[in-house]
Amino acid sequence: MIKIKRKPFAEISAMLEPYASFLNVGCGGCASVCLGGGQKEVQELNAELEAALRSMGKSMIIQGYTVERACNMFFLEELDSRVQEADCLGSMACSAGVQLLAERFPTKPVFPMINTLAIGVDREVGVYEESCRACGDCVIGYTGGFCPVTRCAKGLFNGPCGGTRTGGMCEVDPDIPCVWHQIYERLEAQGRIEDVLKVKVPMQWHDQVRRLVIQEPYLGRYVERD
Amino acid sequence: MLGKGERAVVPSIKELLDENAPKIRFMLQLCVRCAMCAESCFLYRMKDRDPLYMPSHKMLNSVGTLYRRKGRASPGDLEKIREIVWHRCVLCMRCYCPLGVDIPGIIALGRSLCRTQDLYRHYDGSDLKP
Repeated sequence: MIKIKRKPFAEISAMLEPYASFLNVGCGGCASVCLGGGQKEVQELNAELEAALRSMGKSMIIQGYTVERACNMFFLEELDSRVQEADCLGSMACSAGVQLLAERFPTKPVFPMINTLAIGVDREVGVYEESCRACGDCVIGYTGGFCPVTRCAKGLFNGPCGGTRTGGMCEVDPDIPCVWHQIYERLEAQGRIEDVLKVKVPMQWHDQVRRLVIQEPYLGRYVERD
Repeated sequence: MLGKGERAVVPSIKELLDENAPKIRFMLQLCVRCAMCAESCFLYRMKDRDPLYMPSHKMLNSVGTLYRRKGRASPGDLEKIREIVWHRCVLCMRCYCPLGVDIPGIIALGRSLCRTQDLYRHYDGSDLKP
């Protein structure tokens, strides 16, 4: 799922400083799962804002409301009657949710309370590891399930650079495993080592136009066919 | 702190039920327990067709129950509703009703009702059953 982390408090309070009332919108989806922007995190941030304002002798009307999924307009409908009195809105959803909130309420300033960091996996409670960068051209079928785009510091596609340290660690950081070393070991264990001999064009990050995803079974619904 | 004349954004259970009364009454009047929604629920199919996972059962025994009691619910009642709307439904929105009842909307409303009382799913491990 998407992993997020709250912005530094100083940045948040600077964003909200010009406004007299603020509604902080949490998300019950990915943001809640990674303990970054759910109902509890909304309440914690709001309490921190109130305490900071009190200590400065200022006041602001701060409220919070959490929707189930900030990335689906269906779940934002319940906010319609709730945003009117807020001068500005904050969102603790991922950037997709922030943008959808801004799209639904274009006359309200909308601020992200978090930074969207990764598509990743859960390792421990509160610990999440990036696994994917949504390059749009997945090759991990040939690399033993390891993503060279995400896990190679140089994004190499055709084997390690010359800098792999002894023990199979990356030259960029001795605590990071060299993913090509890991790819080699896993493919060798599976008897598929020839897969890395297939030369592939490296991820060139071309075509950076915003992507629209329509699943195959739904194409007929949205796209005119000849 | 709310200013003078400032309305609380988070409603009470009764206010949220009143806001959604037409949708809830529609659901209560029209649901004939035909169980067509059950066939569209992958959780129901995965759980050996346990009736507790039928979408109609979930919505009638969460929001339906709360509405019939006019919003009066003990902490235990709310916890049972929380269990239904979070642990027996993932809001995949696949559920289909031939009569047009908005089942995902009702389940989402159930979650919003729980949230008004600070009840929600916890992902820090505290929600996992032993």
